[in-house]
Amino acid sequence: MPYIKDTIAARATPSGRGGIGIIRVSGPGVTQIGRQILGAMPAPRLATYSEFSDGKGVIDQGIALYFNAPNSFTGEEVLELQGHGGPVVLEMLLNRVVNLGARIAGPGEFSQRAYLNEKIDLTQAEAVADLINSSTEAAARGAVRSLQGEFSTRINALVSQVVALRVFVEASIDFPEEEIDFLSDDRIALQLAEVFRELEAVLHETNQGALLIEGASVVLMGKPNAGKSSLMNLLTGRDTSIVTDIPGTTRDVVNETLQLDGIPLRLVDTAGIRDSLDKIEAEGVKRALAAGEQADLVIAVVDASEPDAPKQAESLMDDPRTVVVFNKIDLVTNTDRFIDAIHMSAKTGVGLHSLKDQLKERLGLSLHVGSGFTARKRHIVALGYGKDALAAASTLLTEQRAGELVAEELRVCQQHLAEITGEFTADDLLGEIFGSFCIGK
Amino acid sequence: MSNQNRFDVIVVGGGHAGTEAALASARAGASTLLLTQNIETLGQMSCNPAIGGIGKSHLVKEIDALGGAMAIAADRAGIHFRVLNSRKGPAVRATRAQADRQLYRVAIRHIVENQHGLSLFQQSVDDLHIENGRVTGVLTNMGLSFHAPTVVLTVGTFLGGLIHVGMDKQAGGRAGDAPSNALADRLRELPFTVDRLKTGTPPRIDGRSVDFSDLEEQPGDEPRPTMSYLSSLADHPKQVSCHITHTSEKTHDIIRGGLDRSPLYSGEIEGIGPRYCPSIEDKVVRFSDKNSHQIFIEPEGLGTHELYPNGISTSLPYDVQVNLVRSIEGFENAHITRPGYAIEYDYFEPRELQPSLETRHVAGLYFAGQINGTTGYEEAAAQGLVAGLNAARQSQGKEPWCPKRSEAYIGVLIDDLITMGTREPYRMFTSRAEYRLILRQDNADRRLTEMGRELGIVSEDRWTRFCEKRNRIDQLSDEMRGRFVQPGNAGIEALLGQALTREYSLHDLAKRPEVKVSELLSTIGHEKLPDHVTEQVEIDSKYQGYIVRQLDEIARIKAQQDFPLPLDLDYAVIHGLSNEVVQKLNQVKPSSLGQAGRISGVTPAAVSILLVHLKKQGKIPVRQSA
Ligand SMILES: Cc1cc2nc3c(=O)[nH]c(=O)nc-3n(C[C@H](O)[C@H](O)[C@H](O)COP(=O)(O)OP(=O)(O)OC[C@H]3O[C@@H](n4cnc5c(N)ncnc54)[C@H](O)[C@@H]3O)c2cc1C
Ligand SMILES: Nc1nc2c(ncn2[C@@H]2O[C@H](COP(=O)(O)OP(=O)(O)OP(=O)(O)O)[C@@H](O)[C@H]2O)c(=O)[nH]1
Ligand SMILES: [Mg+2]
Repeated sequence: MPYIKDTIAARATPSGRGGIGIIRVSGPGVTQIGRQILGAMPAPRLATYSEFSDGKGVIDQGIALYFNAPNSFTGEEVLELQGHGGPVVLEMLLNRVVNLGARIAGPGEFSQRAYLNEKIDLTQAEAVADLINSSTEAAARGAVRSLQGEFSTRINALVSQVVALRVFVEASIDFPEEEIDFLSDDRIALQLAEVFRELEAVLHETNQGALLIEGASVVLMGKPNAGKSSLMNLLTGRDTSIVTDIPGTTRDVVNETLQLDGIPLRLVDTAGIRDSLDKIEAEGVKRALAAGEQADLVIAVVDASEPDAPKQAESLMDDPRTVVVFNKIDLVTNTDRFIDAIHMSAKTGVGLHSLKDQLKERLGLSLHVGSGFTARKRHIVALGYGKDALAAASTLLTEQRAGELVAEELRVCQQHLAEITGEFTADDLLGEIFGSFCIGK
Repeated sequence: MSNQNRFDVIVVGGGHAGTEAALASARAGASTLLLTQNIETLGQMSCNPAIGGIGKSHLVKEIDALGGAMAIAADRAGIHFRVLNSRKGPAVRATRAQADRQLYRVAIRHIVENQHGLSLFQQSVDDLHIENGRVTGVLTNMGLSFHAPTVVLTVGTFLGGLIHVGMDKQAGGRAGDAPSNALADRLRELPFTVDRLKTGTPPRIDGRSVDFSDLEEQPGDEPRPTMSYLSSLADHPKQVSCHITHTSEKTHDIIRGGLDRSPLYSGEIEGIGPRYCPSIEDKVVRFSDKNSHQIFIEPEGLGTHELYPNGISTSLPYDVQVNLVRSIEGFENAHITRPGYAIEYDYFEPRELQPSLETRHVAGLYFAGQINGTTGYEEAAAQGLVAGLNAARQSQGKEPWCPKRSEAYIGVLIDDLITMGTREPYRMFTSRAEYRLILRQDNADRRLTEMGRELGIVSEDRWTRFCEKRNRIDQLSDEMRGRFVQPGNAGIEALLGQALTREYSLHDLAKRPEVKVSELLSTIGHEKLPDHVTEQVEIDSKYQGYIVRQLDEIARIKAQQDFPLPLDLDYAVIHGLSNEVVQKLNQVKPSSLGQAGRISGVTPAAVSILLVHLKKQGKIPVRQSA
C-alpha cells in the first residue's frame, strides 16, 4: 500500500473539561496497544466497560469500543477509548497510547485513511482534500498559538543550541582537516548537558500545563463602537474591557479565558478596525488583524443601527471562520433586513443563547479536526523524543567518545524539534557550517 | 572494432563522468561509442590531483562495488594515501589518495581501451540529432554523424567555458583546452533551463624553487589503505609525502591590495562558486579575523617537480598571484609554472532530470557530471556510471536502475540534485546522508555488488571474490552468535579488564565499544581471519542498534516513499493543492511520493492530498485487512 502502515491516535472529541472524551486509535498496532491498556481486547463492535491501565495503575475507567478491519470508519483496526476523567486524564491516556507505539495523527489523517480504504464514497475526493486543508490550517493556527510567548522563545533558543552543537560536530566530521576536534573538547560535553537540562525543564513545565495556551481562540472584531467590548463583558460576565461611547476606545488586544459548557476558550477583544492617524490606535488595529489571522473563530460584530449594516455583513459571510452578529438590535425596529445572522443586544442580553449555541457548534467541529490540543500534544511528544536523543548523545560522548553516533543522536533530536519549529535540511546545516568556520582548501 | 556509425549508446566527453558512463554501458552489454575532444586527456584531472576524501571515497567505493574504474585507477596512480576521521568511527571514515596525474590518465585509458564493446573516437560533438522529442544521434565538428537511440552528455566545464585571470578573460573548457561553444549554443535552443556556475584552481609551483626545510612534512598513513576492494598494496606506485604551510598577514595584505582587479569582486564573474571550496581572496574577505590559512602542498606526480598548493585557488591577476605566493613560508623564491584561474560554465537545472539521469525534455538523452551542477571527479564518475548503465538498459528495453537514498551515496547525490536542485556547485558530504551509519565506505560492496552482478556490470572475478568475502563474514557472524564464554575465562577477562558476571556470546562482547573482534578471536585461539572479514563483523555488532533502527525506519516508510507518480501528471488539476505547491511539483515532476515529500515547501498535507487524488484516479487499490 502506498501509505505508511503505522498506527495513529488522536483525541476525537471537543476539548472539554468534564464530559466525555474519546481517544481514537487506528492502524495495525491497535490490538497490541489495546491489550496493554485493557488487559484483553473487547469483542468487536461491543461497547465494553473497562479499566484503562498505564502499566502501573489505573488511569481511568470507561467504555472501550473495538472495530476490526475492514469494518471500521477508517477501514483499519480501530479502538475508541471513552473516558470520564476530563482533559488531564485524557491526555495521560493519549500519552500511554503514544508510548505504546502510536503516532499523533496528522490533520485529516483519519478521513484520509477512510477514503483510501474506500470507506468514504470515492466521489468525495474534493471534500476529503478540503478537509485535509482546513484541518491543516486549523492545526497550524493551533501550533502558532501553542508557540506563543515564553514557550516559543525557549524552544527557539533550544533549537539554536542544538544547531550550534550540530554545526560543531558535523564540521569536525566533514572537514577533519580544519582541525576542529569536538571529542577532545570539553565544552561540547558541557553544552550538551546544558541543552539537555533546558529541554528537560521545558518539557516538565509543558507537561504541568504551563507555557502552553490551551483552548480555542475566539476573536471579536468589527468597526469602532460596534459593541465588541460590551459583548466581551457579557460573555465573560466580568468587566474586562472598557466600554465608552467614544469610537476607538479599545486600543490593545484584551484576553480572557472562559468555559463554554466545558469547552475552554480564549476570548479576545480587539480595537475597532478603521484607518487611523493616531499611532497607538493604528498599532491596535494591526494587532487586531493579526489576532484575527490566528483565530479559530472570529465573531464579526456589526452595529445593526447603521444603515448599511446588511451590506457590511454580506462581505463577512464568506469566511468559514466567521460568525456574524448584528449587535444593538434593541435600537432597530424592523429586523427583516438581517435574516441570516445572530440578532443580539449586548445591552439587553437578547440573543446571547443563540450566540453561545453557535459558538459551541462551530468550535466543536473545528476542535474535532485538531487545533490547540493536538498541536500542543504533538509538541510535547516531539520534545520527549528530542530529550531521549540528547540523553543518548550525552552518554555516547562521555562513555564511548563515539563521534558519529553523537552526531546521529543530535540529528534525530533536531528532526523531532523541527516538528515544532519547521524544516531544517542538510543544506541548511552546511550553510551554517560555512558561515561559522572558514572551510575549504 | 571497425568504424561503424551505429551504436546502442553514444557517450560524449571523456572526463570522469564520460569514462565511467562508457565503461558501464559497455559492461552492461551495449555497443558503446565514446566521443571525446582529445584522447590524450581521457581521465584528466582538471584540478587537484587527488581522488577520494570525506563523502567522496564513499562514492568511489560504490563505483568500485559496481565494477567501475575510478578506484582501481586511483590505486594504480596513488602516491600518498590517508585515512580521514580514523578516530571517529567507521561510518564517517574516508580514504583519500593523492594521485599522479599522468599515471591516473594512463590507468583510465588502459581500462577504457581494453573494455570489450567500447569504441573510442577523437572528435568534438557540435550538435545532437533530435527527432520527435527523441535523440537519435550526434554530429561532430568534422561533419560526421553517429546514430544511437541513447546519448549520454558529459562535457564538464566546457559549455560556454570562460576562463578568468584578473580582468583578462578567455574562452576555454579548462586551461589548454577549447570550449564547446557550438554545442552550448545548440543546447541553449532546446527547452533546458541553463545557468552559470564558477570554480577555480590555484597556481602550480615548481618544486625545485620551494624551501621545504621549515615546513611540516605529512607522510601517508600506515597501515596504508587501498581504494578498490580488488587492489592490494602491490598495486601502488612509490609513495611520497605532502607538506603543510600557511598564509601570513602579509599574504592577506597583498590579496586585499589586489581586490580591485579581482574578477570576483569587480562583478566580472556572474556564476556562483562553491562555498566549501572558496578562493583565497574569498577566505581573506569573509574571514577577515583569521590571520593565517592552512595550505597543503601536494605533489602533482612522481615524474614531475610541479606542486599543487591546495588552499590558494585564485583568479587574481598574475602579478598579484606571484606576490601572494612568495609571501608564503617556503615559497619565498617560488616559481609559478601555471597561473591560477577561475572558470565559468553552463550547467543545466538538474530538477529537469529523471532519477535515471535521462532528461525530461529529450527522450534518450542523459546528462552526467559537472553539467548537472556538481563539482568533483567522484560526483561526476558516480553520475556517469548511472547514466551510462541506464542508457544501455534503455537501448535494451529494460527498466532503469535508480539507487535509493537508503542504498547508496550515489542515490543521495542524484536525489538531492533532481529534488532540490542546486545553486552552487554541489559536492558530497557525509552530513547529506541521513542513513550515514548504513552507507559506509567499508560496506559498499556488501550494499551494491550483488545488485551490480544482477545488472550485469560486475565481472566474474569481482563476483567470486565478493562471494567468498561475504561467506566468511556470514560464517564468522553466525559462529560468534553461537559461541559463548563463561565467567572465569582468564584470557577474555584479561582482554576486557574486568571479570565476567555471566555467560556471554562472542557477539555480545563484540558490541562493547572497546572490544576488537580480531583480539577476541586470538584470545580464544581462533584461526586468524583477514582484516576485511573481522572488521565487518565488528562494525556490524557495534552499530547493530542503530542499523536496526534505521532499517526499521526505511521499512516503515518504504511503501509510501517508493509509490510511483506519473511523470506526465499536471499538478495544477489536483483539487486542494496551493499554487506554490503546484508550481514546485510541476517543476520537479517527482517520480515517487517520497521524492515529492522531500521537495522543500511540499507539506505533509500536500502529500496526503496527492494520495487522495491518486486514489480517485484508481491508482491505489483497496488495502487488504491488516
Ligand atoms: C579550473 C577548475 C577547477 C576545479 N576545481 C575543483 C575543485 O577544487 N574540487 C573539485 O572537486 N573539483 C574541481 N573541479 C571540477 C572537476 O574537475 C570536475 O568536477 C570533474 O572533472 C567533472 O567531470 P566531468 O566528467 O563532468 O567533466 P570533465 O572532467 O570536465 O570532462 C569533460 C570531458 O568532455 C570533453 N568534451 C567537452 N566538450 C566536448 C565535445 N563537444 N565533444 C566531445 N568531447 C567533449 C572534454 O574534452 C573532457 O574530456 C575543477 C574544474 C576546473 C576546470
Ligand atoms: N443600545 C445599545 N448600545 C450598545 C450595545 N452594545 C454596545 N452599546 C454601546 O455602544 C458604545 C460602544 O460600545 P463598545 O463596547 O465600547 O464598542 P467597541 O466595539 O468595543 O468600540 P471600540 O473599542 O471603540 O472599537 C457604548 O456606548 C455601548 O454602551 C447594544 O447592544 N445596544
Ligand atoms: Mg472596545
